[in-house]
Amino acid sequence: MTEVGGKKARRKPDDDSACCCNTHSVTAEITLLLNTLRELAAIRSTAEDAAARILDSAEGLLALADKEEAKKAEDAIMSIMTACGFHDLVGQRVTKITENLDRVIATRLTGEEAVAPKTLRRGSDIVLEGPSASPDQARIDALFSKKN
Amino acid sequence: MALDPSLPVLVVDDYKTMIRIIRNLLKQLGFANVDEASDGTAALNMMREKDYGLIISDWNMEPMTGYELLREVRADDRLSRTPFIMVTAESKTDNVIAAKKAGVNNYIVKPFNAATLKSKIDAIFGDAS
Repeated sequence: MTEVGGKKARRKPDDDSACCCNTHSVTAEITLLLNTLRELAAIRSTAEDAAARILDSAEGLLALADKEEAKKAEDAIMSIMTACGFHDLVGQRVTKITENLDRVIATRLTGEEAVAPKTLRRGSDIVLEGPSASPDQARIDALFSKKN
Repeated sequence: MALDPSLPVLVVDDYKTMIRIIRNLLKQLGFANVDEASDGTAALNMMREKDYGLIISDWNMEPMTGYELLREVRADDRLSRTPFIMVTAESKTDNVIAAKKAGVNNYIVKPFNAATLKSKIDAIFGDAS
Protein backbone atom coordinates (compact mmCIF):
# COMPACT_ATOMS: atom_id res chain seq x y z
CA MET A 1 0.00 0.00 0.00
CA THR A 2 1.16 3.51 -0.81
CA GLU A 3 0.33 6.88 0.72
CA VAL A 4 -1.24 9.11 -1.90
CA GLY A 5 -2.58 12.54 -0.91
CA GLY A 6 -2.80 11.53 2.74
CA LYS A 7 -4.96 8.50 1.97
CA LYS A 8 -3.86 4.94 1.84
CA ALA A 9 -4.14 3.71 -1.70
CA ARG A 10 -3.93 0.12 -2.76
CA ARG A 11 -1.69 -0.44 -5.75
CA LYS A 12 -3.40 -2.34 -8.51
CA PRO A 13 -2.02 -5.83 -9.22
CA ASP A 14 -1.05 -4.58 -12.70
CA ASP A 15 1.15 -1.90 -11.09
CA ASP A 16 3.05 -4.59 -9.15
CA SER A 17 3.75 -6.56 -12.27
CA ALA A 18 4.73 -3.39 -14.14
CA CYS A 19 7.16 -2.53 -11.34
CA CYS A 20 8.53 -6.08 -11.37
CA CYS A 21 8.89 -6.00 -15.17
CA ASN A 22 10.55 -2.63 -14.95
CA THR A 23 13.06 -3.96 -12.39
CA HIS A 24 13.79 -6.91 -14.66
CA SER A 25 14.14 -4.55 -17.59
CA VAL A 26 16.64 -2.33 -15.73
CA THR A 27 18.58 -5.38 -14.54
CA ALA A 28 18.71 -6.73 -18.09
CA GLU A 29 19.77 -3.36 -19.40
CA ILE A 30 22.57 -3.04 -16.85
CA THR A 31 23.73 -6.58 -17.55
CA LEU A 32 23.85 -5.72 -21.23
CA LEU A 33 25.85 -2.56 -20.51
CA LEU A 34 28.28 -4.44 -18.27
CA ASN A 35 28.78 -7.05 -21.00
CA THR A 36 29.41 -4.23 -23.45
CA LEU A 37 32.04 -2.80 -21.11
CA ARG A 38 33.72 -6.21 -20.93
CA GLU A 39 33.78 -6.39 -24.74
CA LEU A 40 35.29 -2.91 -24.94
CA ALA A 41 38.01 -3.90 -22.46
CA ALA A 42 38.72 -6.93 -24.64
CA ILE A 43 38.96 -4.75 -27.76
CA ARG A 44 41.46 -2.50 -26.03
CA SER A 45 43.52 -5.46 -24.87
CA THR A 46 43.43 -7.10 -28.32
CA ALA A 47 44.50 -3.86 -30.00
CA GLU A 48 47.36 -3.43 -27.54
CA ASP A 49 48.59 -7.01 -28.07
CA ALA A 50 48.33 -6.65 -31.85
CA ALA A 51 50.21 -3.35 -31.88
CA ALA A 52 52.95 -4.79 -29.64
CA ARG A 53 53.38 -7.85 -31.90
CA ILE A 54 53.49 -5.73 -35.05
CA LEU A 55 56.08 -3.45 -33.45
CA ASP A 56 58.16 -6.48 -32.37
CA SER A 57 58.20 -7.70 -35.96
CA ALA A 58 58.91 -4.26 -37.42
CA GLU A 59 61.81 -3.70 -35.02
CA GLY A 60 63.17 -7.12 -35.95
CA LEU A 61 62.91 -6.31 -39.68
CA LEU A 62 64.63 -2.99 -39.15
CA ALA A 63 67.58 -4.73 -37.55
CA LEU A 64 67.77 -7.20 -40.45
CA ALA A 65 67.38 -4.68 -43.30
CA ASP A 66 69.93 -5.29 -46.05
CA LYS A 67 72.27 -2.33 -46.58
CA GLU A 68 71.40 -1.71 -50.26
CA GLU A 69 67.71 -1.93 -49.72
CA ALA A 70 67.92 -0.44 -46.27
CA LYS A 71 66.39 2.94 -47.08
CA LYS A 72 63.38 1.43 -48.84
CA ALA A 73 62.97 -1.16 -46.10
CA GLU A 74 63.31 1.49 -43.40
CA ASP A 75 60.59 3.65 -44.93
CA ALA A 76 58.21 0.71 -45.18
CA ILE A 77 58.98 -0.43 -41.66
CA MET A 78 58.56 3.06 -40.21
CA SER A 79 55.23 3.27 -41.99
CA ILE A 80 54.17 0.00 -40.32
CA MET A 81 55.33 1.35 -36.97
CA THR A 82 53.47 4.65 -37.21
CA ALA A 83 50.34 2.78 -38.30
CA CYS A 84 50.51 1.02 -34.93
CA GLY A 85 49.33 4.32 -33.49
CA PHE A 86 45.86 2.89 -34.15
CA HIS A 87 46.17 1.31 -30.70
CA ASP A 88 46.33 4.73 -29.05
CA LEU A 89 43.34 6.07 -31.00
CA VAL A 90 41.29 2.89 -30.50
CA GLY A 91 42.13 3.07 -26.80
CA GLN A 92 41.04 6.70 -26.50
CA ARG A 93 37.77 6.04 -28.30
CA VAL A 94 37.08 2.95 -26.19
CA THR A 95 37.84 4.94 -23.03
CA LYS A 96 35.33 7.55 -24.11
CA ILE A 97 32.64 4.92 -24.76
CA THR A 98 33.45 3.15 -21.49
CA GLU A 99 33.11 6.37 -19.51
CA ASN A 100 29.81 7.17 -21.20
CA LEU A 101 28.48 3.68 -20.42
CA ASP A 102 29.70 3.97 -16.82
CA ARG A 103 27.75 7.20 -16.63
CA VAL A 104 24.59 5.57 -18.03
CA ILE A 105 24.88 2.69 -15.55
CA ALA A 106 25.43 5.06 -12.62
CA THR A 107 22.42 7.13 -13.69
CA ARG A 108 20.22 4.02 -14.06
CA LEU A 109 21.29 2.69 -10.67
CA THR A 110 20.98 5.92 -8.68
CA GLY A 111 18.34 7.77 -10.67
CA GLU A 112 20.58 10.84 -10.58
CA GLU A 113 22.57 12.22 -13.44
CA ALA A 114 26.18 11.08 -13.13
CA VAL A 115 29.12 13.50 -13.32
CA ALA A 116 30.74 14.25 -16.67
CA PRO A 117 33.20 11.63 -17.94
CA LYS A 118 36.80 12.05 -16.80
CA THR A 119 38.04 12.67 -20.33
CA LEU A 120 35.86 15.77 -20.52
CA ARG A 121 37.02 17.08 -17.16
CA ARG A 122 40.76 16.66 -17.73
CA GLY A 123 42.77 19.83 -18.11
CA SER A 124 40.64 22.00 -15.82
CA ASP A 125 39.11 24.76 -17.95
CA ILE A 126 39.75 22.92 -21.22
CA VAL A 127 37.27 20.39 -22.56
CA LEU A 128 39.02 17.55 -24.36
CA GLU A 129 37.23 15.87 -27.26
CA GLY A 130 39.56 12.99 -28.01
CA PRO A 131 40.25 11.67 -31.50
CA SER A 132 38.61 13.58 -34.33
CA ALA A 133 36.75 11.92 -37.19
CA SER A 134 38.80 13.93 -39.65
CA PRO A 135 42.15 14.99 -38.17
CA ASP A 136 43.76 17.64 -40.35
CA GLN A 137 47.41 18.51 -39.78
CA ALA A 138 47.28 21.23 -42.44
CA ARG A 139 44.57 23.08 -40.48
CA ILE A 140 46.69 22.86 -37.31
CA ASP A 141 49.74 24.11 -39.21
CA ALA A 142 47.70 27.05 -40.52
CA LEU A 143 46.70 27.94 -36.94
CA PHE A 144 50.35 27.84 -35.95
CA SER A 145 51.50 29.98 -38.80
CA LYS A 146 49.10 32.76 -37.77
CA LYS A 147 50.49 35.41 -35.47
CA ASN A 148 48.79 35.38 -32.01
CA MET B 1 68.85 26.79 -32.15
CA ALA B 2 70.99 24.06 -33.77
CA LEU B 3 69.94 20.44 -33.73
CA ASP B 4 72.27 18.16 -31.82
CA PRO B 5 71.19 14.51 -32.15
CA SER B 6 72.93 13.72 -28.87
CA LEU B 7 70.59 16.01 -26.97
CA PRO B 8 68.34 14.16 -24.56
CA VAL B 9 64.70 13.91 -25.62
CA LEU B 10 61.82 13.18 -23.26
CA VAL B 11 58.76 11.45 -24.72
CA VAL B 12 55.62 11.68 -22.58
CA ASP B 13 52.61 9.48 -23.34
CA ASP B 14 50.38 7.14 -21.37
CA TYR B 15 50.31 4.64 -24.24
CA LYS B 16 53.43 2.46 -24.33
CA THR B 17 52.74 1.74 -28.01
CA MET B 18 52.96 5.44 -28.86
CA ILE B 19 56.16 5.90 -26.83
CA ARG B 20 57.66 2.95 -28.69
CA ILE B 21 56.63 4.40 -32.07
CA ILE B 22 58.06 7.86 -31.32
CA ARG B 23 61.22 6.34 -29.85
CA ASN B 24 61.76 4.35 -33.07
CA LEU B 25 61.09 7.41 -35.24
CA LEU B 26 63.56 9.46 -33.19
CA LYS B 27 66.14 6.68 -33.50
CA GLN B 28 65.78 6.81 -37.29
CA LEU B 29 66.32 10.58 -37.11
CA GLY B 30 69.54 10.01 -35.18
CA PHE B 31 68.35 10.65 -31.62
CA ALA B 32 69.78 7.99 -29.34
CA ASN B 33 69.28 9.61 -25.96
CA VAL B 34 65.54 9.20 -25.43
CA ASP B 35 63.78 8.91 -22.07
CA GLU B 36 60.11 8.31 -21.45
CA ALA B 37 57.42 9.25 -18.93
CA SER B 38 53.79 8.17 -18.71
CA ASP B 39 52.28 11.49 -17.56
CA GLY B 40 53.07 15.13 -16.85
CA THR B 41 53.95 14.67 -13.19
CA ALA B 42 56.54 12.00 -13.93
CA ALA B 43 57.90 14.10 -16.81
CA LEU B 44 58.23 17.22 -14.68
CA ASN B 45 60.13 15.28 -12.01
CA MET B 46 62.50 13.93 -14.68
CA MET B 47 63.00 17.41 -16.15
CA ARG B 48 64.00 18.73 -12.76
CA GLU B 49 66.64 15.99 -12.50
CA LYS B 50 68.03 16.14 -16.04
CA ASP B 51 68.34 18.73 -18.81
CA TYR B 52 66.30 17.80 -21.89
CA GLY B 53 66.77 19.39 -25.29
CA LEU B 54 63.28 18.50 -26.52
CA ILE B 55 59.96 17.39 -25.01
CA ILE B 56 57.46 15.46 -27.11
CA SER B 57 54.24 15.08 -25.16
CA ASP B 58 50.72 13.75 -25.48
CA TRP B 59 47.91 15.93 -24.08
CA ASN B 60 45.35 13.56 -22.57
CA MET B 61 47.06 11.86 -19.62
CA GLU B 62 46.45 11.46 -15.89
CA PRO B 63 47.08 12.78 -13.33
CA MET B 64 48.86 15.68 -15.08
CA THR B 65 47.95 16.39 -18.70
CA GLY B 66 50.41 17.46 -21.38
CA TYR B 67 48.85 20.92 -21.37
CA GLU B 68 49.39 21.27 -17.63
CA LEU B 69 52.96 20.02 -18.10
CA LEU B 70 53.51 22.66 -20.78
CA ARG B 71 52.28 25.41 -18.44
CA GLU B 72 54.47 24.15 -15.59
CA VAL B 73 57.49 24.05 -17.90
CA ARG B 74 56.90 27.54 -19.27
CA ALA B 75 56.44 28.90 -15.73
CA ASP B 76 59.73 27.43 -14.53
CA ASP B 77 62.72 29.71 -15.12
CA ARG B 78 65.14 26.84 -15.62
CA LEU B 79 62.88 24.86 -17.97
CA SER B 80 60.97 27.59 -19.76
CA ARG B 81 63.09 27.58 -22.94
CA THR B 82 62.88 23.82 -23.54
CA PRO B 83 61.38 23.10 -26.98
CA PHE B 84 58.00 21.39 -26.57
CA ILE B 85 56.03 19.52 -29.24
CA MET B 86 52.50 18.36 -28.49
CA VAL B 87 51.54 15.07 -30.19
CA THR B 88 47.88 14.46 -29.55
CA ALA B 89 44.53 13.31 -30.92
CA GLU B 90 43.03 16.62 -29.76
CA SER B 91 42.48 18.80 -32.80
CA LYS B 92 39.71 21.14 -31.68
CA THR B 93 40.67 24.66 -32.75
CA ASP B 94 40.17 26.16 -29.28
CA ASN B 95 42.48 23.57 -27.75
CA VAL B 96 45.17 24.06 -30.40
CA ILE B 97 45.02 27.82 -29.80
CA ALA B 98 45.18 27.28 -26.01
CA ALA B 99 48.32 25.16 -26.45
CA LYS B 100 49.85 27.76 -28.74
CA LYS B 101 49.11 30.52 -26.22
CA ALA B 102 50.62 28.38 -23.46
CA GLY B 103 53.86 28.34 -25.45
CA VAL B 104 53.97 25.03 -27.32
CA ASN B 105 56.54 25.15 -30.16
CA ASN B 106 54.68 22.84 -32.49
CA TYR B 107 51.62 20.64 -32.59
CA ILE B 108 51.14 17.26 -34.26
CA VAL B 109 47.74 15.66 -34.54
CA LYS B 110 47.45 11.86 -34.31
CA PRO B 111 47.59 9.81 -36.44
CA PHE B 112 50.83 11.17 -37.85
CA ASN B 113 53.74 9.90 -39.89
CA ALA B 114 57.53 10.04 -39.72
CA ALA B 115 57.72 12.96 -42.16
CA THR B 116 55.44 15.11 -40.00
CA LEU B 117 57.48 14.47 -36.85
CA LYS B 118 60.71 15.21 -38.72
CA SER B 119 59.34 18.43 -40.22
CA LYS B 120 58.20 19.71 -36.81
CA ILE B 121 61.56 18.92 -35.22
CA ASP B 122 63.33 20.57 -38.17
CA ALA B 123 61.14 23.65 -37.80
CA ILE B 124 62.14 24.04 -34.15
CA PHE B 125 65.84 23.49 -34.76
CA GLY B 126 66.06 25.59 -37.88
CA ASP B 127 66.04 22.79 -40.46
CA ALA B 128 69.46 21.63 -39.31
CA SER B 129 68.78 17.89 -38.98
